[in-house]
Amino acid sequence: MAFYENTIVTKQDLTEKDLKSLKEKYNKIINNSSGKVIKIEEWGLLSLANKIKNYKKGFYIHYKFEGAGKTIEEIEKKIKIDSSVIRYLTVKYKELDTTNEFFKKNNNG
Amino acid sequence: MKRKNKKFQKKNSSNSLNKLSLFQKSDGKFSRKCPLSVKNAPIVDYKNISLLKKYMSDNGKIISSKITSVSFGKQKKLTKEIKKAKILGLL
Repeated sequence: MAFYENTIVTKQDLTEKDLKSLKEKYNKIINNSSGKVIKIEEWGLLSLANKIKNYKKGFYIHYKFEGAGKTIEEIEKKIKIDSSVIRYLTVKYKELDTTNEFFKKNNNG
Repeated sequence: MKRKNKKFQKKNSSNSLNKLSLFQKSDGKFSRKCPLSVKNAPIVDYKNISLLKKYMSDNGKIISSKITSVSFGKQKKLTKEIKKAKILGLL
């Protein structure tokens, strides 16, 4: 078991209901495949540095979880099929710091 | 007031003793320490965009460690984190 971080960039033209369902969908996938979600962050709508698939903005969802290699295989399988996700990134960490939130200011204002 | 005056005098005297000529550069300029390996240094991470932007040029290139005086290990980490941020479209 190791610690991971996973960020998903979704399309900008999703409704709030779609976002909530997406958020819960991947939360369930992680929890069902021998993983454990520690924290979920929503960075909100941010403008991309350059165009990705003709989109200028995207919603960012950030997961911090503990899991094995199988969990990541399963998440990435599901993400690749999902048409509403533009980009994703998973990073392995020895320790997670849940105190710092770099995007909190952007969410408020 | 007395203390301030003393400090001012000391600085002046030490500077004039160390420098032999006007054209000799002061020692302080050459021995700059790495700003990322000091105590309580900021965290180098792909989420910390405001820090990563300092070490990039306007065209999106990574500035060399000769100019920024970042240590070798931290420069390696910087490049990796910048590339991660570029994947997500943050930089």
